[in-house]
Amino acid sequence: MGHLAAAIVVLAVGLSLYYASRQIDYEWRWERVPHYLVETGGTEIPAPFDGTVKFAPDGQSLTLTPLLGGGEPVTVAGFDRIEVSDGDIVFAGNTLGREHGWSAGPLAIGLWMTLKISLASLVFALILGLVVGLGRVSRRVVSRDLAALYVEVIRGTPLLVQIFIFYFFIGTVLSLSAFAAGVAALSVFTAAYIAEIVRGGIEAVPRGQTEAARSLGMSAFQAMRHVVLPQALRSTSPALAGQFINLIKDSSLVSIMALTDLTKAGREVVSSTFSPFEVWFCVALLYLALTGTLSFAVRRLERRLDRHD
Amino acid sequence: MRAGYGAHTVLHALSLRLAPGTVGCLLGPSGCGKTTALRAIAGFEPIGAGRILGDDMVLTDAGHIVPPEKRGIGMVFQDLALMPHLDVASNVAFGLHRQPRAERDARVAELLELVGLAGSAKAYPHQLSGGQQQRVALARALAPKPRLILLDEPFSSLDVELRERLSQDVRAILLHEKTTALLVTHSQFEAFAMADVIGVMRSGHLHQWDTAYNLYHRPADRFVADFVGEGRLLPGTRRADGAVEMELGVLRAHAEIPPPGPVEVLLRPDDVVHDDSSAVQATVTARAFRGAEFLYSLRLDSGREVLSLVPSHHDHAIGCRIGIRLDVEHLIAFAI
Repeated sequence: MGHLAAAIVVLAVGLSLYYASRQIDYEWRWERVPHYLVETGGTEIPAPFDGTVKFAPDGQSLTLTPLLGGGEPVTVAGFDRIEVSDGDIVFAGNTLGREHGWSAGPLAIGLWMTLKISLASLVFALILGLVVGLGRVSRRVVSRDLAALYVEVIRGTPLLVQIFIFYFFIGTVLSLSAFAAGVAALSVFTAAYIAEIVRGGIEAVPRGQTEAARSLGMSAFQAMRHVVLPQALRSTSPALAGQFINLIKDSSLVSIMALTDLTKAGREVVSSTFSPFEVWFCVALLYLALTGTLSFAVRRLERRLDRHD
Repeated sequence: MRAGYGAHTVLHALSLRLAPGTVGCLLGPSGCGKTTALRAIAGFEPIGAGRILGDDMVLTDAGHIVPPEKRGIGMVFQDLALMPHLDVASNVAFGLHRQPRAERDARVAELLELVGLAGSAKAYPHQLSGGQQQRVALARALAPKPRLILLDEPFSSLDVELRERLSQDVRAILLHEKTTALLVTHSQFEAFAMADVIGVMRSGHLHQWDTAYNLYHRPADRFVADFVGEGRLLPGTRRADGAVEMELGVLRAHAEIPPPGPVEVLLRPDDVVHDDSSAVQATVTARAFRGAEFLYSLRLDSGREVLSLVPSHHDHAIGCRIGIRLDVEHLIAFAI
């Protein structure tokens, strides 16, 4: 009953959006979008230098003889469609023919970049977040102060500003690539939140657990590693999953650097197609696919772990 | 083992000695410092002054603490603190992580057999009942054969019936393992059921460190007399000849009691006997049926109250006047 009502609401919102879009003068060209996701036109085979085309008798290959008599003739083969005629003179970079097959379009390449940068940031953010989180609950005042300062500074400044600082300042000083600067900025930002989640998880484990482990012969470090952290990570896994989803979404901000992630690719495609509505809907769906897959995987993992307790 | 403690004066000059193989108990109302004492012995709390020794080795003194994991002291926690992510066998094996696998498995099997949980090795703590979890916690603490095992209010989370059964089982298990144990509780019943020596504590002071028999029959002071067992204090006068004069009659003193002068005499419910032929009468103000006996609260003519344990076929209504006399084996009196 409730599901039905929700479906009706969604349908109504969809219909009104559709109606609103009919009111404005906009031509929907959905058929253009798939090309930017997957290229089906095949790969171009360019001429390596200026020369004269000569077909082989079977038509499966051609020989390019350099103009002005410089160098050896080259045989080019393995294409599915020839786009030149016998005896043509071509210049370097001209298309000789095409190879069939699929290749990734700009949106797919952008998606892959987003995935790469998110995964790399995730790994570093987890490590850094764990270290800072442990610092927050450390017995040493120095560690506690430094960790608290880190969390306050990072959480108190906008991610966009941090990305600028990492890209223009730290990236320049350490001569980092755009990718490295992006991963660094995202990791440092996300780690501050993970640290707080880790701290909360550790503090939620009763003190008796550490003391029990120590009275059974474990050092403070072993007790943290074998008793407290496993319990803390399990109880915080929903919060951590939420943070990972945030990380994927936050990664869209790196598009301001010279990094072609999904968002940047979307912008480029929009400027070449003039179909912003379709492209941005498509980009949103791709992000949703990433985050949805992640949520699903985490929920499966939780259910597997929960089977024990 | 001796302990002195003075930091936040949670404990004042606590001193006790527990012989190997015996079960000791710190008994007292909540907030008396008994748990602090236990935690200091376990190595979780520093002490301000004094020393804690284990087999003549200094474990804690004012400036130094041997860390808990190096003390060889096991502990059963009030909230049990079983590892929720490990099954029963792994919980018990927890303190044996340095031993070879075969030895470890044998010891785990032996202990689970001992605590009667041989069939639950693969269960997780939350699948067990409170009593079973208690047994797992005990087995886990016993596994590494600690020189001393500490039990912090071990039965506080269990219902009364289970407590009674389990406290006897636990004593049997401790004796079987030949472990020295120190228990902390606010329940006299648990203390009497499990301990060879009991220390009565209040606000950081250890009032008496003695056997259950002596706590009951030879309490060191008014607090112990009042806290252990039931009874009421009645004023009297100690005469030069040693006898004590009170409103219920004159008592001959057997034991060493305070010098002549005003005293207070402890009357246990079994010291006051119902006797229809007695000239002394008292009014029944309350009664509690205890099966074989009634516990009557009686108001004397002076307005003071005594308790009397009377065979339950003497069924007197509230408001009745009944005859009583004293039948005191051990006279317990304190100077005022």
